[in-house]
Amino acid sequence: MTPIFEAIGVNRTFTLRRGGKVSRIRAVQDVSLQLDRGEIVGLVGESGSGKTTLSRIMIGIERADSGEIRYQGRAVEPKKGFAALRREVQYVFQDPYNALCPTMRIGDALAEPLIIHRIAGRAERKQRVERMLSMVGLHADIARRLPRQLSGGQRQRVNLARALMLEPKVLICDEIVSGLDVSVQAQVLQLLLGLQQELDLSMLFISHDLRVIKYLSQRVYVMYRGQVVEQGATEKVFSAPSHSYTQKLLHAIPGREYPVPAGAQGRSENAGGTG
Amino acid sequence: MSDSPKPVLEVENLSVRFPSQRGEVAVVDGLSFQLRAGESLVIAGESGSGKSMACRTLLGITPDSSRVDADRLDWKGQGLLALDRAGWNALRGAEIAMIFQDPAAALNPLITVETLISDAIRQHRGGTRAEVRARTIEALSRAGFPEPEFRMKAFPGELSGGLRQRVAIALALSCEPSLIIADEATTNLDVSIQAQIVELLRFLQADLGLALIFVTHDLGLAREIGGDLMVMYAGQAVEYGRVPEVLEDPCHPYTRGLLRSAPTMASDRNTPLQPIPGTAPRPGEAAGGAPFRARCPVAMERLCERENPGWTRVSDTHRVACHRFAAEGRGGVQ
Amino acid sequence: MSGASSLQPASGALRSRHPGLAGNLPLWSGGVLLAAIALASLFAPLLSPYGPNDIDLRAVRLPPSADHWLGTDAVGRDLGTRVLYGGRTSLIVAGVGMIGSLTVGSFMGMLGALGSRPVRWAVERAIDIQLAFPYVLLGVAITSVIKPSVPVLILLMVLAAWAGAARIVRAIAMQERGKDYVKAAGVLGASKVRIALRHIFPSVVPSLIVLAAMQMAAMIVFEATLSFLGMGVQPPTPSWGGIMLDGKNYMTSSWWLTVLPGLAIVLTSLSLILIGDGLERRRNSARAGESEE
Repeated sequence: MTPIFEAIGVNRTFTLRRGGKVSRIRAVQDVSLQLDRGEIVGLVGESGSGKTTLSRIMIGIERADSGEIRYQGRAVEPKKGFAALRREVQYVFQDPYNALCPTMRIGDALAEPLIIHRIAGRAERKQRVERMLSMVGLHADIARRLPRQLSGGQRQRVNLARALMLEPKVLICDEIVSGLDVSVQAQVLQLLLGLQQELDLSMLFISHDLRVIKYLSQRVYVMYRGQVVEQGATEKVFSAPSHSYTQKLLHAIPGREYPVPAGAQGRSENAGGTG
Repeated sequence: MSDSPKPVLEVENLSVRFPSQRGEVAVVDGLSFQLRAGESLVIAGESGSGKSMACRTLLGITPDSSRVDADRLDWKGQGLLALDRAGWNALRGAEIAMIFQDPAAALNPLITVETLISDAIRQHRGGTRAEVRARTIEALSRAGFPEPEFRMKAFPGELSGGLRQRVAIALALSCEPSLIIADEATTNLDVSIQAQIVELLRFLQADLGLALIFVTHDLGLAREIGGDLMVMYAGQAVEYGRVPEVLEDPCHPYTRGLLRSAPTMASDRNTPLQPIPGTAPRPGEAAGGAPFRARCPVAMERLCERENPGWTRVSDTHRVACHRFAAEGRGGVQ
Repeated sequence: MSGASSLQPASGALRSRHPGLAGNLPLWSGGVLLAAIALASLFAPLLSPYGPNDIDLRAVRLPPSADHWLGTDAVGRDLGTRVLYGGRTSLIVAGVGMIGSLTVGSFMGMLGALGSRPVRWAVERAIDIQLAFPYVLLGVAITSVIKPSVPVLILLMVLAAWAGAARIVRAIAMQERGKDYVKAAGVLGASKVRIALRHIFPSVVPSLIVLAAMQMAAMIVFEATLSFLGMGVQPPTPSWGGIMLDGKNYMTSSWWLTVLPGLAIVLTSLSLILIGDGLERRRNSARAGESEE
């Protein structure tokens, strides 16, 4: 089966000039990555590892020096190709506070992708917005609010909803839960899993938190200093890491020896909870 | 770790209130704890739980519009509430130091690392030029700042996030305080750096006999720090005990909810996370009654609405504030 | 998903978003003053028994009195009436000039932030050149060649003021340009024009409103200056600068002919500056409210 979305041999070098000194940073070095249909792939790395740059190259907001992005086996041309890909591949930004236009009401922000691509009339747009809001667990009232009137978790749900308005096949999520509180993070992760199954999404999930990656993804890529140092089935990579950097990352997870919380199994009585 | 020495920090019924349109609203509500030299206290909670504000009272840096009350807020037997500006200045840095979440914002970008730290030392400890310089180097090397003699001329902007946090720790250590408060001090750092910084804090605590207050939202980190753990929700402490006790035998529905929400290396999709439904209450919304009642799966209909639960003893060192637990014990909160 | 739909109206509960008019003395005092001036000019025919150009050679250069509150000018026209009618001209000309300069300035500013590299460069240079140019001298030069008229005057005003607006718009747009929400719109397929108009421009508007008040004040003064130099509104149409020009020969003997219209100019621009100050203050407190979260 051809992967639905892949990067092949991608390179990107940044040139920095500071005080006359010119330094070159090889942000992404010969990275290849595949995303199969209906799969969640994790991309792990620390800050500066090049994971965000790679993902932005894959969506076409950052340019690659060399290498190729392929969608359904066909190479995506720089610029033009990505414009054509907008409806198929979507991106959710890291910071829930900056990714929404501060002056636009939520309903308008959600309807915008439909307007841009001339999909659906006014009445149907409104319907679709409401349907998407309820899909991500938000009340339809939210449509009339401005971003600053929402909490961080709500904003991240809106971001997600906006990316899904065009019914993409591939979703790239860049650290979308790292700014959220633990209980809200769990809500968003559960939502992501539900949506992925319901909409048959293929997902690239980028995070520095190995616990989140472990929970969500079937396969994982580990990036370090611009290179992929390890990849494979999540279970295998995390239980028997072969690269020393992966080992170091795993070792650094706080509370790693810590057993499964007693509560996790005792869900029988009150599963589902109350509103 | 023994019970014999007198606590350095004694807090009883501490609250911080802000005026609002609906009258006064408590952001910290009736907090009590003690801390001995060489011990650590982890305060865990999510944003808006009041954990940072509680720490700020210990440094006298709460916002002007706030009102701080306590039956007791004593540092080494001295009442902090009665301190004037000069009193606070003598205490801050010298006795109690704080490490903030964002090292980039907490360090002045226009002052070199050396100047920053030596100024603090000069102000609190004094000494000749050579002495101050020696102390500066010592503080930096204790904080794991590499080659301080050469690199301390750097500006904060020239350092990586991890190094900047080490500078912030060195600054906190520079005047040999007895209590360090780390407010989400490792939250913005990469995991491997975070592990190093936590390691460092633990080492310093043991080596220098410091008292440590570590504020975090990550219960995994609480495990690494050890000592006592206080779980806060909506400005109130809901569970208090030794770290392993609380994490292995969580008795409050909120603590249990937090643990079930957080993915660990042992969890995967087959054992789904169980998010706490709903959102955290706004300040003041949870007043009167059990603070967690609106999101609690085992809330008791009338009791939790009306009455704030007092502490129920779980063991000598472990207590929980929950009506359900008080009535039915562990079985009730399962 | 469990009860994730519960709503929480942000953290606005602990404070009121706007301090209200009562807390903003500059805004409302400026507003009242400007409203009074504008209404008086508008209803000039009702307030005054004289016409602006009614000559009465029996009553030449009379000092302020009960019949002529502000006195009369060299040909016996009622000065108060002329100042009221002059206010119409001055306010309209300044208003049109202000709107023109903000429009041109916004357009250039957005181009300067969002255009292609050569376009940005061209806009920057144009702003540099504009800021270094002596506009009053240009006015003198132009009006010595073509006949001065109101459209020429307005054109001059726009030329003189657009760059100030362009610089501010450009700075804000540059700041917004790098933010994630702009990239997010791009990822959704939004065109550059759409991003500029729907996403970035709304962030510019609050600053533009403050600037509008300040520029209006500058325009009032600019109009008066040019009219006083004989390059603006032409007699017999009254304008504040023109009235002062008529009176300048009698400065020592009949002070009111210059001082009183001058006072009208000062009061009007003062009211506008107060409004601008007040708007700025309100914008800042609204911003502080946002960042509190």
